[in-house]
Amino acid sequence: MGNLSNSEKKKIPKYDDPSQIEMGLIQFNLDKCNGCGLCVKACPGDAIKLQNKKAKLTDRPECIACGDCVAICSEKAITLVKSYRYSGRYKTIDQGGLELPRL
Amino acid sequence: MSDNKQKISEGKSEQLKNVRTETEDVILKRRSVRIYQKKQVPEFLIKRILEAGRFAPSAGNGMPWKFVVIRDQEIIDGITQTVVQTCKMFKGLIDYRYNGSILRKIIANIVIRSKPNDLHPVPFGGVSLIADGKLELFHNAPTVILIFADERGIGFPTLDCGIAGQNMVLAAHSMGLGTCWVGFPKLAFENSKIWKKRLGIDYPYKFVSSLAIGYPVGNPDGMVARPTHAVDWYEGGMKKTLY
Repeated sequence: MGNLSNSEKKKIPKYDDPSQIEMGLIQFNLDKCNGCGLCVKACPGDAIKLQNKKAKLTDRPECIACGDCVAICSEKAITLVKSYRYSGRYKTIDQGGLELPRL
Repeated sequence: MSDNKQKISEGKSEQLKNVRTETEDVILKRRSVRIYQKKQVPEFLIKRILEAGRFAPSAGNGMPWKFVVIRDQEIIDGITQTVVQTCKMFKGLIDYRYNGSILRKIIANIVIRSKPNDLHPVPFGGVSLIADGKLELFHNAPTVILIFADERGIGFPTLDCGIAGQNMVLAAHSMGLGTCWVGFPKLAFENSKIWKKRLGIDYPYKFVSSLAIGYPVGNPDGMVARPTHAVDWYEGGMKKTLY
């Protein structure tokens, strides 16, 4: 029983090791992006920047998959692809896949 | 809304099968808003939002909260400044995330055990962004509601504060306003006495969280995908797990 092993409980995930921490992921449809920059300001994780008037992920996106960029985009140019996952003492448990609100 | 209530009382819940109520829509479309117009929110709307908080359920109807409304830019900027300074200190001492400093990692490994919630990677990322000036604490919202818990409250007073806070958030979004839960002011109320003194906050009140409120820029609300979460369901002598 238990969701975390004893060794997991003790292990603090290394932030710079992608095998231990996976950040959220969004994808941009650049044909639709009009470069308004609302997503850049809406993002709490400094994950989006504008380059040549198009949205782009930053070098170190701290995406928490909140979807605020997806919701604010008037052109529906952003898709949430993946939520974030941690290992060790912060291991993500009991989560399933991404789903829109269901009826 | 009253229509739906009638449907259920008449045993016609089936009619709700493919229709969401207005309340569900507000809940599902609420997104945290981080870009606000400068325009101040009318006083009567903030008072209505406070009423939504006042009527939240609380253990034993204890109402173990205190709401402090801040609409003075000078105070909002001041709290922000204190939080930024604290974030800079934390970042300097214990940002163990990307750089190779062994000392910082050792400190972090000790502190993380007593403060697992504060040093979780996500809020710590926030600390780092605030320190670097990449994340505005209250997102330039014109109104902020600080929520304090009466530590003597029944059961879990901070939980009651959360319930009251979410009532206010949902009321605000139903009016077309935007809100964002902002927890970092804790750094201005727990690690320093300046703001408690300035605002006259003392025992038994303890900072819980705060709400940024204002008119959003653009249309930030809308439904988005979220991960599902395991729900155990016991019925008819059987257990199933739903996602």
